[in-house]
Amino acid sequence: MLEYASYALVLFSLALYVVLDGYDLGVGMLSLAARPERRREYGEIVATAWDANESWLILAGVVLWAGLPGVYAVLLPAVYLPLIGMLIAVILRGLGLEMHSAAGGYRRGWALLFGGASLAATVCQGLVLGTVLTGPHQRDGVFQGGAFDWLSRYGVLCALGLVALYLLAGAAWLQDKTEGWSRPEVRRTGRGLLVATALMAVVLGLLLPGADPQRFALDQPLRAVLFWLAVGAAAVAGAVAWYGFGRRPDWRPFAAVATMTVCGMLGLVALTAPVVVPPALTVHQAASPHSSQLFLVLGVGLCMPFVLAYNLYAWRSFRGKYTDPVERPLPPLPARAHPSTAPAVPEGGARTVVRRILLVVLGILAAALSQDVFGGVADWIGPVGITVLGGTALAAWIAGDRRDRRAGYFDADAEAESTS
Amino acid sequence: MASTTVVELSRWQFAITAIFHMTFPALTVGLSVLLAVVYTVHVRTGNPLYLQIFRFWKKIFAVGFGLGVVAGTVMTFEFGLNWGVYAHAVGPVIGVTIGMEVITAFFLEAGFIGLMLYGDGRIRPRTMALASWMVAFGTLLSTTWILSANSWMQDPVGYEKADGQFHARDWIDILLNPAFAHRFPHMLLAVLISAAWFVGGISAWYLVKKRVHARPMARRCLSIALGVLGVLMPIQLYVGDGTAVFMGQHQLPKLEAFEGNWKSDNNGYNLLVVPDTDKGENRLHVEIPYLGSAIAQDLSGRTNTPGLLRTPPEERPNMWTTFYGFRAMYFTALLMFGTAFAGVVLRMRRRLFDSPRFLKWLVWTTPAGIIAITGGWIVAETGRQPWVVYGQLRTADAVSQLSVLEVAVSLAGFVLLYVTLLAIWARYIVRTVKAGPEALPTGSAAPDASEAHVA
Repeated sequence: MLEYASYALVLFSLALYVVLDGYDLGVGMLSLAARPERRREYGEIVATAWDANESWLILAGVVLWAGLPGVYAVLLPAVYLPLIGMLIAVILRGLGLEMHSAAGGYRRGWALLFGGASLAATVCQGLVLGTVLTGPHQRDGVFQGGAFDWLSRYGVLCALGLVALYLLAGAAWLQDKTEGWSRPEVRRTGRGLLVATALMAVVLGLLLPGADPQRFALDQPLRAVLFWLAVGAAAVAGAVAWYGFGRRPDWRPFAAVATMTVCGMLGLVALTAPVVVPPALTVHQAASPHSSQLFLVLGVGLCMPFVLAYNLYAWRSFRGKYTDPVERPLPPLPARAHPSTAPAVPEGGARTVVRRILLVVLGILAAALSQDVFGGVADWIGPVGITVLGGTALAAWIAGDRRDRRAGYFDADAEAESTS
Repeated sequence: MASTTVVELSRWQFAITAIFHMTFPALTVGLSVLLAVVYTVHVRTGNPLYLQIFRFWKKIFAVGFGLGVVAGTVMTFEFGLNWGVYAHAVGPVIGVTIGMEVITAFFLEAGFIGLMLYGDGRIRPRTMALASWMVAFGTLLSTTWILSANSWMQDPVGYEKADGQFHARDWIDILLNPAFAHRFPHMLLAVLISAAWFVGGISAWYLVKKRVHARPMARRCLSIALGVLGVLMPIQLYVGDGTAVFMGQHQLPKLEAFEGNWKSDNNGYNLLVVPDTDKGENRLHVEIPYLGSAIAQDLSGRTNTPGLLRTPPEERPNMWTTFYGFRAMYFTALLMFGTAFAGVVLRMRRRLFDSPRFLKWLVWTTPAGIIAITGGWIVAETGRQPWVVYGQLRTADAVSQLSVLEVAVSLAGFVLLYVTLLAIWARYIVRTVKAGPEALPTGSAAPDASEAHVA
């Protein structure tokens, strides 16, 4: 039964990923169509959360690896190129976003990179999804297909569907986060995207039995009931989103879109479980042994409440409409009280040469001591040696630091005042 | 069996992505600790200098952290993409370890990094300090898990083999494996040292260039950096030596390769070798006589270093990468030790901030820590070859069924992307450093104006 817990963990992480990173990929794609002066705001909205959002994909990936290594090992080689493409796109997106946020100039280029990479990452994810649903060609747990098997008609349709879904989530998130859009504008965009997403969902659903090599057992009553419940709930959530776009409260469309996405996923799971890779690779066959399942489920399960709690906390800290952060200017630093220079030491001469030679010898001796060269003579020499060396350095550091602070080395220089 | 080309290309891809990834944690783990410390000091003392330090290093930390995260994501998926057989075989052990890393450490960093980077002015200072500590704690925890996973591959214990998989028998043995006990402290010290070195180098630049406004910050950071180095460098040499001795006992071919000997008749220490792998001899070698024996704790000079001919040819690692990786790490470490030693001497002689030659040396050696860490990982990974899980699973057997085209395309993509990224990142660092920290008004100069700022 534990393998079902692992499977559930994978699905849970994946659902959170699709909901959370879905909106920031969507915001990224929408930023391409936004006016240049709005792009910075879009980027900043994503910047506070993308790292945490993306972590869910990594969690889904590693739990899949640890809990269902059979699936991980078959699936990843099958989607090699689109997954590599997605990773590269994700890197470029992170780069565009961070540089956009941190660098002074080149805003336009970084913003376009952020938007373009968001689109590329979404398309690649859609292609991966398409490959999973149509079942990669495998034998005995090893992928046997070709390099371009992922490039199917169904895969391309999945990519389009995912773009529509993420755009929808992005639009819903923007209604919650910004004041920039007028209400009719939000309503028009949101409802348009909702129609596109619903259309794509219906098309993909109708084509699925033809594309997926497994036989869907919808004649089993429990499976059918769960499937149609999920579909029904998704439809209701979609209706709420339709009503909510352009109306207060501003969080409603996003909540509805998130519910819709999760219900859609649950419907898919109800249809296919326990098969993970069509037509016949099931959770049981792909699972790792009991010892690993137990450790994984306990470890991840016990940490999950904490992870959710602090993610929620971080998320709450940035709740409400986005506002430009106000970094307070730095308060003044006291000027250096007693500008003293280092005591003048006469350089050159025999004393300096002797001192330097002695110091070099001492340094070599210290290095040899640290490296335990004398360990053959007696065991205690090494540990005692590094304790003496480290202790001396620590004492010199503390004493020197205090002296420098008293001497005002860490206060503003007198010269600074004259030049400012 | 996949073709040897696919194995070679996949190895190159993993090496390049891993080295690129490692560049960033080499800085950001230590920087996250520095940021947490200075922010806490700022909260406790109210000294604006520490806020200035926090805001300046935060800019360099943020971009490095982001790049490190995305580059790490690539590696997580590469295990399955390129090394499907490996992923299937070690999933029950390594997959779980990495899974624990993600849930305990990665999420901690990711959850709090947004608060730390964007929270200034939005959340309370105490919460900011807490977030900074959580990020630092997360990076340290992440280092721990990753070193546990990698060390298990160096010296696997606590498992049993079944159905072509490694099944966990004892999780304590697996997580706290013998190699981990040596390699974790070594790596932890390494990342702290390399970050301190980086901070010290950049701080020295401000002093060399006589940037008056940045001087208090530069002196403060230089003092911290050299203090850390003075204490940690001796410990690091000791721990590093222990790790090398451990490897000599548990992975002899690695030691044979990184010491650069073929026959076991050399009591000297090789500074330079030109190995001829086919003939099993060195075409050229430059050595210091008797030093090899001294390093092996025999001061009489009679102990010879074991050579690679003891290992059967099909189990030999590549001497070129292993030897020069080790030299890059070890020689850099000795230079760093000497510098840290000189730093302590200068400090005691009260000349730390007024020694132009020493400061210039620090500026020129700013990336020393990254070079040493990269060298060390090259030894660890290429020295373990031809095994991916030492003695148990060969690298050539671990690769996915991929076509040459696929791997060639992805390798070219990563090389192109990573070279560009490194250039952009380096330019960003140079620009940020040149722009300098946010200006800090001074206390006695025009107090009215500065009060207006605060208000």
